[in-house]
Amino acid sequence: MQNDIWIALVASAVGTLLIRLLPLIWMQRHLAKRKSQEAVAAMPAWLSVFGPLMIAAMFGVSLIPSSQTVAAWISTVIGVLVTLIVWWFKRSLGWPVFAGVIAFGTVTLVF
Amino acid sequence: MTSQEITPTRLPFLMGVYDAFPLLGGYIPVAISFGLISTQSGFSVMETILISTVIYAGASQFLFVAMISAGAPLWLVITMTLLINARHVVYAPSLAIYLPQSRWWPWLMHGLTDQVFALALTRMEKIPEHTRMGWYTGAALLAWLSWIVGTAVGAVAGEELTTRWPLLGEVMPFALPALFLVLIAPRFTSRIWIITLGATIILAFLLKLFGYLNAAIPLAAVSGAVIYYLIQKLDTYNAK
Repeated sequence: MQNDIWIALVASAVGTLLIRLLPLIWMQRHLAKRKSQEAVAAMPAWLSVFGPLMIAAMFGVSLIPSSQTVAAWISTVIGVLVTLIVWWFKRSLGWPVFAGVIAFGTVTLVF
Repeated sequence: MTSQEITPTRLPFLMGVYDAFPLLGGYIPVAISFGLISTQSGFSVMETILISTVIYAGASQFLFVAMISAGAPLWLVITMTLLINARHVVYAPSLAIYLPQSRWWPWLMHGLTDQVFALALTRMEKIPEHTRMGWYTGAALLAWLSWIVGTAVGAVAGEELTTRWPLLGEVMPFALPALFLVLIAPRFTSRIWIITLGATIILAFLLKLFGYLNAAIPLAAVSGAVIYYLIQKLDTYNAK
């Protein structure tokens, strides 16, 4: 790798870490300040709304199959339904995901 | 939203590893693809593994490799790589309230990807405070290592693997939508959340479908937040 590509790599890596890290430091200071003022330490309200919405957006984006054929869409719908049904009964993480992938894979194979 | 605390039955670190297992289905196939594309773009196996180790951000790694091999100016490569990750800005603040004091958190933030955030936001509030550090370390470490190992496999034998088992790369990534669904399903607890989450999912889906891949997540989430506050204002107004 040439020197300038090394620089780009290091800058991208450090920048990505800072994007993840600096907001944490800011929020930890914010919470500590609230505590020292004997107020209830709490997140800004918008953050407690924004977190679940980011997960919902990730879910929406991840629903688009890599190959957009009818078979892939049917597999996705069935995979989602099976995941949801298993989650409804098990209320856990692992089994619903496992069942969803198996259902998705089975339908993909059949088509 | 209410939450029920889970009493851990195994070491927090192992509990994190166990919870993060579904992520592998999504990570490994994408990491293999990255390893393959990176070596095809002229990067060596070691350089490819290094990119995955230190940048550790799916979309921006693909962009990094593509732009470098296309001869794009370095300032543009760095800017675009960071812009794609800008959505990560809201992740750590959302988790901060659950994190016990430790000097290790700044370093552990390297592992805060989309998926680890989604998992942590849902699980952290349900486990005792003293187990959260171990839980996060286990989950983040498994995800990071699977990304690095997947990249290495893709860089060394990606072409052979995708030729021999093409279906595997097609089926395994469904673990991600399934995981996100399981993480978001318990949040459908009231009218306001059903409407807001539903609208966000549909909007993100449509944005990606129409090609706005990088804007889809932040734009849909911001729109969802606007909808949430509009409904809240409307409810307050109607109650008067």
